Amino acid sequence: MSDPAFFDGLVKILFVCVIVTSAYIITTRNLVSLVRVYALQSLSLVAIALSLAWYENAAILLAIALLTLVFKVIVIPYFIATVQEKIRIKRDIEFHFLSPASSLLISLALMIVVYITLSRVISPAPAEGSLFFFGAVIGISLVMMGMMVTFSRKKAITKVLGYLSMENGVLLFGLFATELPFIIEFLIVIDLVILILLTTILTVGIDSTLEDYHNRLHRFYLWEDQEESP
Amino acid sequence: MILVAFALTALAAIILVALSRTHNQMNAAAVGQALVFAALAFYILFFVRVPVDTFIVGSGYFFIDHLGLLEVLVATFIFVLAAVYARGYVGNLLISHELEAGSLKLFYAAWCLLELVIVLAFFSDNLALFWIFAEMTTVISAMLVAILSAKENIDAALKYIFVASVAMIFAFVGLIFLYEITRSALGTGTLNWTVLMANASALPSTMMAAAFLFIFIGFAAKSGIFPFHTWLPEAHAKAPSAVSAVLSGVLLNVGIYGIIRVFAIARQTAAAAIVVPVILAFGIFTIAIAAFSMLPEKNLKKLVAFSSIENMGLMLTGIAVATPLAIFWVLVQVIAHALTKASLFFSAGILHRQYRNHLSADAPDDIHDVFRFQPLAAWGIVLGGLAIIGMPPFLAFFSKFFILLSLGSISPWVLALVLVLLFIAASAFGYFVIRTFGRTTPPGEPCEPVPYHTPLSMQAPIVILLALVLALGLMFPAGGYAFITQIVTELGFS
Repeated sequence: MSDPAFFDGLVKILFVCVIVTSAYIITTRNLVSLVRVYALQSLSLVAIALSLAWYENAAILLAIALLTLVFKVIVIPYFIATVQEKIRIKRDIEFHFLSPASSLLISLALMIVVYITLSRVISPAPAEGSLFFFGAVIGISLVMMGMMVTFSRKKAITKVLGYLSMENGVLLFGLFATELPFIIEFLIVIDLVILILLTTILTVGIDSTLEDYHNRLHRFYLWEDQEESP
Repeated sequence: MILVAFALTALAAIILVALSRTHNQMNAAAVGQALVFAALAFYILFFVRVPVDTFIVGSGYFFIDHLGLLEVLVATFIFVLAAVYARGYVGNLLISHELEAGSLKLFYAAWCLLELVIVLAFFSDNLALFWIFAEMTTVISAMLVAILSAKENIDAALKYIFVASVAMIFAFVGLIFLYEITRSALGTGTLNWTVLMANASALPSTMMAAAFLFIFIGFAAKSGIFPFHTWLPEAHAKAPSAVSAVLSGVLLNVGIYGIIRVFAIARQTAAAAIVVPVILAFGIFTIAIAAFSMLPEKNLKKLVAFSSIENMGLMLTGIAVATPLAIFWVLVQVIAHALTKASLFFSAGILHRQYRNHLSADAPDDIHDVFRFQPLAAWGIVLGGLAIIGMPPFLAFFSKFFILLSLGSISPWVLALVLVLLFIAASAFGYFVIRTFGRTTPPGEPCEPVPYHTPLSMQAPIVILLALVLALGLMFPAGGYAFITQIVTELGFS
């Protein structure tokens, strides 16, 4: 089964999944599906990490896949979905500077720019269409697209999802560019979880009146204690 | 072992905060932790041979060298004074219901944790570990900004988190680059600063330049460099003043520290030809933006925050010069800026208590009769302002003078430009002070605010800091001179 062509095809399909999900994150107005799509994107990353682990026989990639699965597919999306229910916002229809169509076009342009820049910077020059080079390009593009979401949306909770999508890009880039020590990957995820907890709790404050917020906050402190202690 | 001592102290302090009932007890725990931390830092300074290479320290994740020690000394010192200051300041916030009593535990727990994370960041050998600690400082300090019961605070904190964290993601991409560079150049991938320094000349220059620029984006945002400075004025102005002092005096140093470390590696490769002009340009832009934003500013804390941005820009230009002399005075400027800026925020905090504006934190300060109500804070602003714009004989005069002098060695035009910009910033400060502090109510008319009784715990830190900045300017100790020279040598700048 360890056929390079099969592996190649599989990973390319997963790349397409990642790009489609990030395009969806850029354009959608529906917040509920936004979280689901983010979970889907993380799941594709898990699949990529698993197939890489299978191809390279690297146990560390398995560990990274597991970590991503637990935190980015289950814990964080579940948490954000719960918060969304509490603040009762369903749609984020405000775009700061960019309309969905133009942001799609810009992200296309960004990908091309990243492709050209990376092929110049990386030495020795990568083979054309090499999977690892592709992975790095898509990783960086995902970072850029996530940044666009963070800065072009108005609702803080959408910004959070943009940030998460950036983080996924870094993970993808890291998977293909090099092998970081597992402890570093682990600490980053912990950092991410704390950051997301804080920002979503603050988000509740932005989107509601203040007295209301304090009542809700007391409910959420319980949440925070549970999540941060392990 | 010394790091374990730091961690245990912080843990003990957090437990004490969790157990204590009153504000004074919690504050005592925070002050105690800060004192122990400062004592540990001074213990390392006087009794341990630096660079330290013992258990945990020197294992590839942590190390203690002179630069890290200097930053920790400055940080712990400011934390001691800020914790003392918080006793009066936060107590008053509680009375005026700007801070909910329920949030108090969270505030002090985050405060204690922040100090630990900052110390660990400065003692990290592994750059990825440093990145994680730096990122954690953002999250924790944003929590301290958001803790006041005002919507503007939450806004400022969210802006702070998003701008800083998004930029820090780029820094991490840069670190991955760096790791891959070392893997292809040295055989095994590493992010250990000591190893990187030893093998810097073997690294390929194009990749190194790309890695540096990515990392620079992240740490520039941490230290408020243009165009990533947008979070800084709001976060510093909205935070409780004790927190503002820490944000400005300590947290900005984290960013500059990261830039100095990575630059020390990058400049040994051919990447220096790309990197140096970039840093210089960003430095000058930063000073320019800060100076012109200061000019129309009517809010004291925002003015002081913009002055921080200006100082960071000046440090960046000094780093770009990259001569031993310039780096030496950049490090002195780090000390001078941290101490002076902390005292300015302390003074601004007293004025903020006296003339707090209930309408909006963005509104111009309604300051009048300042010398009658708050003579100490007023003189603190005047003298601190003179110190920060670089008047002799304060310490910042010497650091600014010599940084400008080394800029002159690059090009007299750069020197002239920066000098003009610094002059604008200085005059903005002077204009603000003259305009607002001169306001008096004519005798006979009723004076509205009741004089706010400033407790000694809020006054003493200002006096101590200003006296220290003055004393260091008049007589910089020979030991300090040798210490900073040692840092410059360790960074490979000589």
